[in-house]
Amino acid sequence: MSATGGKYRVINMETGQLDRGIFVDPEIYAEEQEKVFGRAWLMLGHESLVAKPNDFFHTYMGEEPVILCRDGRGDLRAFLNMCRHRGNRIVRTDAGNARNFACAYHGWTFSNQGELEYLPGAEEAYYGALDRDCLRLAEARVDTYAGIVFATWDQDAPSLDDYLGDARWLLDVSFNRLDHGTEALGPIKWLEPVNWKTAVDNCSDNYHVPTTHLSTIIVQGRHRGIPRLTHEQQFQSESKHLFVNGHSLTLRFLERADQARQTHGVTAENRAAFEEYYRQTLAEAERRLGRLRARRLQLGNHSLFPNGVLGLRLAHPRGPLQTEFWHFVVLEKDLPEELKTALRRGSANYNGVNGIFEQDDMDNWRGVTNSALTAMGRKYTQDLSMGVGHDRRHSQYPGIVAERYTSESNQRLFYQRWEQFMNADSWDDIPLEPKTMPYEGAATLRG
Amino acid sequence: MATETRPIAATQLELWHELMQFYIHEAWLLDERRFREWLDLFTEDVFYFMPRRLNVHRAETDRELTPVGDLAIFEDDKTYLRMRVERLETGMAWGEDPPSRTRHLVGNLVAEPLPGGEVKAKTAFILYRSHHETEENVFAGCRDDILRPVGGEWRIAQRTIVLDANVILAKNLSVFF
Repeated sequence: MSATGGKYRVINMETGQLDRGIFVDPEIYAEEQEKVFGRAWLMLGHESLVAKPNDFFHTYMGEEPVILCRDGRGDLRAFLNMCRHRGNRIVRTDAGNARNFACAYHGWTFSNQGELEYLPGAEEAYYGALDRDCLRLAEARVDTYAGIVFATWDQDAPSLDDYLGDARWLLDVSFNRLDHGTEALGPIKWLEPVNWKTAVDNCSDNYHVPTTHLSTIIVQGRHRGIPRLTHEQQFQSESKHLFVNGHSLTLRFLERADQARQTHGVTAENRAAFEEYYRQTLAEAERRLGRLRARRLQLGNHSLFPNGVLGLRLAHPRGPLQTEFWHFVVLEKDLPEELKTALRRGSANYNGVNGIFEQDDMDNWRGVTNSALTAMGRKYTQDLSMGVGHDRRHSQYPGIVAERYTSESNQRLFYQRWEQFMNADSWDDIPLEPKTMPYEGAATLRG
Repeated sequence: MATETRPIAATQLELWHELMQFYIHEAWLLDERRFREWLDLFTEDVFYFMPRRLNVHRAETDRELTPVGDLAIFEDDKTYLRMRVERLETGMAWGEDPPSRTRHLVGNLVAEPLPGGEVKAKTAFILYRSHHETEENVFAGCRDDILRPVGGEWRIAQRTIVLDANVILAKNLSVFF
């Protein structure tokens, strides 16, 4: 298995020392685009963004520009946004409704099923010799999890179900709770001067929250009646941190089944309305997820390997030193309008480009990225040793479980997963955890 | 063809002049980091809004700006604005500590009185921001305000900020518009 041999040995799992070169090296970055972003199932949108036939939404898989569309038959497709003639982009807008896509360069026109439908001069200039079947748009494999659209370029990748593995067991409590499912709004897009991995590893880093975000913790306590989060609480917390196939999931326990989930936008003022909503939807959630997942568990900070964080938020790589960040909010369709508004505002105002939490993160990520740019900085490894030896298999929960809510198991296992992808010759070399959890209730992968 | 010159009403000129002074004052409050005083320029029921700006075809520019109800970049009430200002005062709002150096240039004012005493005021702005050692951002856009007279002073009851950007070329928007 190349996971332990291989070219890359960047994380020492016994000592937690990480080689910083992976944040800045252009050759490593180029290899990542193929070996990580070329292989993994990547989140790229939500079904609600392409709700009607012929809707399209322009998105990215890593650096690759991608047209996510619903074709005339209603099937989801993901095409590389590249004319097969010279390589021009055939879609230049963010979204729309179109049965076909015409290249503005020479007029080659592709259907939203990927066929080269028309080109000027097929007979007159090409003498009828052009093999149109070989000039279809490049297409990715698409699948959905509870309305969230994923795609992969790798025909040999496992199914999305296996890729998520038992991460879905916990993801379901946020994204797969109700029959009517969810809708996505967004994204807010901005360009951060950071390596994409620093953003991903941070978004499941429970340790930084009481320090980095203290100013906002103070003012949200003062103005929104949200109890103050401290290091002490986090160290003593019963919450668990689970790791499955490189995905990271924080599991928090609900004190009551109708407890308002800990989400930005929930305040002392609207908490009772949220509790009423959770009471009203409890029977349905229990039918779909079973008793434990519907009544006892909520999902906290989480990330899906490689570049999805905190729900449908994407860290698109843009060179080793830049990341285009996309922030969507995913809302249950059944939420009453006033609660949707509260969550929508909370989501962007806490975690968008202007988010009063998130705006304090970027300089940290930039500092971590840029430390690898100097010869002296590169001499010192990043220390990710917190909790080494204190994570293990658990009888009740999937994957590897950290003993404490605060640890660097998250970072170590994320970079170990990265190493596995980078050292693999193909998907045959990338290990997957078997699914072992009981999926009580009626909810399935597709919703 | 006969052209008719219409005299500019003195009241209209006065209004324009008064509002221009208001916006110049606001810009200085922001650039001198007098954020508490800046906050006082807003009514208690203010809606401070920055929609997303989509990349669309010319024929579809009616949906270039996302409406209220879609995900916005800013969708603040007075409490959110107060939280933004008060967190700066904790000394631990690390994204703005050390603080940005900003320069707000505001102009192109068009004012239109509304029935009931409020005024619709549109301005264009360039906001220059310098941060830490060498970082720079330039934000350009316009602001559509509803100004309301309160106790003999103008107050901003509604502000819609439209940035001339699709992907925002900045690490964050931790400055005010």
